[in-house]
Amino acid sequence: MSLQPLFQWIEGTELAVAINNSTYAFALIESVHLVALAVIGGAVLVVDLRMFGLGFKNQPVAAVATAARPWLIGSLLLILLTGYLLFSSLAAGKYYWNIAYWWKMYFLLAAIVYTFTVRQPFALRRAANASVGVTKLVAGVSIFLWLGVAVMGRAIGFI
Amino acid sequence: MSFVGLLQVIEDSAFSTGLRESVYMWACVDGVHVLGLCIFLGMLLFWELRLFNVGLRSASVSETWDRLSPWITAGFVVMVISGLLLFVSEPVRFWGNIFFRVKLVALVLAGLNALAFHYSIGKRLVDWDARPLPQTAHLVGVASITLWVLIVFCGRLIAYNWFAPLV
Repeated sequence: MSLQPLFQWIEGTELAVAINNSTYAFALIESVHLVALAVIGGAVLVVDLRMFGLGFKNQPVAAVATAARPWLIGSLLLILLTGYLLFSSLAAGKYYWNIAYWWKMYFLLAAIVYTFTVRQPFALRRAANASVGVTKLVAGVSIFLWLGVAVMGRAIGFI
Repeated sequence: MSFVGLLQVIEDSAFSTGLRESVYMWACVDGVHVLGLCIFLGMLLFWELRLFNVGLRSASVSETWDRLSPWITAGFVVMVISGLLLFVSEPVRFWGNIFFRVKLVALVLAGLNALAFHYSIGKRLVDWDARPLPQTAHLVGVASITLWVLIVFCGRLIAYNWFAPLV
């Protein structure tokens, strides 16, 4: 089954048409998307770097992860919302045909699933008793997946 | 030679032309600029939050700065280098873009704001480990975040030629 009809329907919704017809909407939503990216980058990195033994060395991983959690979830919701709006405006015309867009979505899906099923439970509960190697592995995979989302997202504009 | 004339000389140079017309290099520099933003602003946010006594409160103010400042600095250096390269690739167009000018002014203000903080309240951060930060620190935090969000917006909007070039 192809997702093309779904993408065409999304691009035809009133909201998507309005964004597409506006001179400023896409650029302004994109700017908010970028600010949210900075926040999510900080919220992810501050915990992953701690798991690498860098940054807040005197605080347990769980304490850093607890402090970062509301910012991670909040910025993720904001970035998903603005991301959907950007996507909707050109869903079938541009993004469906853009290979970087698909790679970004695969990375994003993997990053979200990994973050909330592996990395968050690990950082919040198990990191204190885990070995250094496992802790670094959990953090490294997290950075790799989120970096993939960012790089592929940037690549959309150049393909 | 006028300033714009100088920018034109830079733009006509082999280095600038090569960067501007490259298939991958410009995109890579731009990508690095955004990733630098992620590290710089993401970490700066956690520092500003600490000024408001939000976030990782189990770390003292001075410790928070000690832990975050290397990353904030590193992210900033990456952004300055990649940003200069992006500017050099198209200096005349950038200089003529209103958002670029606003971004420059906001960058100067953000720099002054940071200097003002670090040479007054922030001079001896350990002093504030035991007692709450003064109200002025909150003002600095609000100004900083506001300016940086403005800088991100302007940076993104430079890509659009909504207004007639200034030069």
